[in-house]
Amino acid sequence: MEVSSLPLSPSQRGKLIAAGYTTLSSLSSVSAPDLARDLNISEHEAIEILKVSSQSSKKIDGCHAIVTGAQTAWDMLYEEEFMTRITTSCADLDNILGGGISCKEVTEIGGVPGIGKTQLGIQLAVNVQIPIDYGGLGGKAVYIDTEGSFMVERVFQVAEACIEDMPYNYPQKDFQARKNKMQPENFLANIFYFRVCSYTEQIALINYLDKFVAENKDVVLLNQVTTKFNEGSYQLTLALGDSWSHACTNRIILYWNGNERYAYIDKSPSLQSASAAYSVTGKGIRDAASHCKRVRIM
Amino acid sequence: MKPENPLHLTTQKCTTGCPILDRFLAGGIPCNSITELVAESGCGKTQLCLQLVLSAQLPISQGGLAASSLYFYSEFPFPFRRLQQLSSSFSSSHPDLFSTHDPCDHIFVRGLQSADELLGLLDRIDTFLTNPPSRLPVKLIVIDSVAALFRSEFENTPGDLKRRSSLFFGIAGKLKLRAKRFGLAIVITNQVVDLIGSDTANGVRVGNLSCLYSSGRRVCSALGLSWANCINSRLFLSRVDEIAGKETAVKDDEGGNSVLVCTRRRMHVVFAPHLPESSCEFVIVREGVFGLDER
Repeated sequence: MEVSSLPLSPSQRGKLIAAGYTTLSSLSSVSAPDLARDLNISEHEAIEILKVSSQSSKKIDGCHAIVTGAQTAWDMLYEEEFMTRITTSCADLDNILGGGISCKEVTEIGGVPGIGKTQLGIQLAVNVQIPIDYGGLGGKAVYIDTEGSFMVERVFQVAEACIEDMPYNYPQKDFQARKNKMQPENFLANIFYFRVCSYTEQIALINYLDKFVAENKDVVLLNQVTTKFNEGSYQLTLALGDSWSHACTNRIILYWNGNERYAYIDKSPSLQSASAAYSVTGKGIRDAASHCKRVRIM
Repeated sequence: MKPENPLHLTTQKCTTGCPILDRFLAGGIPCNSITELVAESGCGKTQLCLQLVLSAQLPISQGGLAASSLYFYSEFPFPFRRLQQLSSSFSSSHPDLFSTHDPCDHIFVRGLQSADELLGLLDRIDTFLTNPPSRLPVKLIVIDSVAALFRSEFENTPGDLKRRSSLFFGIAGKLKLRAKRFGLAIVITNQVVDLIGSDTANGVRVGNLSCLYSSGRRVCSALGLSWANCINSRLFLSRVDEIAGKETAVKDDEGGNSVLVCTRRRMHVVFAPHLPESSCEFVIVREGVFGLDER
């Protein structure tokens, strides 16, 4: 976005361009005194110019995006501490994940058919909606289904169990009163479900989602990754190859260990490689039956 | 692109024709989804499929889809006589529905010789699905079996296996697209192969059962992992021949001892997004396939 299209007087525009401020992003990180000095104008005028420029950037994107070059690492560290995570409803799994699946990151979940990928996806789509005073995010979910495995009756079951379990994890006095507002139907209504049948549809959807997410705050994306294991001398690897694996921030592999389901953190910039057991029950994802077995750090 | 509200997305199910099996399957075979029946020969896959193409014609109030069915068969010959038998038993138990016509009028049957043929056909059936020659639209597609389409033409070389996999994804993709567009229930049967060797050497565990047993042998589904990713639910039918105890030994005509052998059949959920791990015993009788209540 060019400074030349800002609603400023021509002399102000001329001064900005002459001093080297040609784009909005260059204006977003400069302070008023510095701008005043560079343009040889009063600080009051500089503040006005900066106000106009930040208003314009708001109008373009529809959201307040500071189009800057970079955040300082200090700011990012501060942000990370408050980075929200979605619980998986399995304590061991949450532990190795540092609290749960993190927002602002892409996590890939892969495993053989029947291991629980869809179940985990449904559990997360429900758990993201847990109200903030119950330890959740109070958000909504976008569920992109490429397999056709999203069964509403199962989501209903998981939502029902989540509501039932809420007061046990976060006892609150007025739960009964609020329970009337929290019905499984409410949880279902907050899942925006897309069924995608081809990669072209998927691409079209991603382009659309930019706009969709901007209009609806607090939406967490759950793309059900069907990763396939290819057998090659008894080594199972995720399909789609290495070029795909670069695209995701975190990768979790679900696998069978004897009769138990395990999750293993295969790739993460911040988490240690570790595995934890979990189970799929009528209520959704929960701790493994042998909960006393502690987490193994690799 | 508009998101759908899950509240409006209830899954329709097609009754199996037996209330106990329906309860085991949480209503029946789901629409908009591919359900696979995997078993060795003689376990009842085809029997169950024949039963489904009949029960699909039941009105929705009785758990059916009020629909015609399309039956692709790759194992010749098609069991026409058994279908007639089941059909006459079916229409006599629902006289109000079938007084004027034959249930077989709503069943369309097509033989398949190869996977490529199936792929080509799937591109051309859209108008047939919405407007078949009978008055009910098609809402159930059966493919019996998918394994036979693949097992003869492909060598065990990487190139052939890749080609085979891409055919799996092609077929499943087209089926799922139509399942979504027309609300179809899709049932596919698959064969088993024997698992030889120790526990971990062969066979990746897929689903609830650590190993599949039938007729006293360890088996696993044919077509491997790629195909397993193409389907939504997998049901395993097993059979065990049990000797019915020495006390029931009967002397046959020649004076020797013969023993009563009883075939016990079970249906297991290997994996399904909406079903827990469970199994159900069933029998195959003249009138069809029926579950046994074990409570």
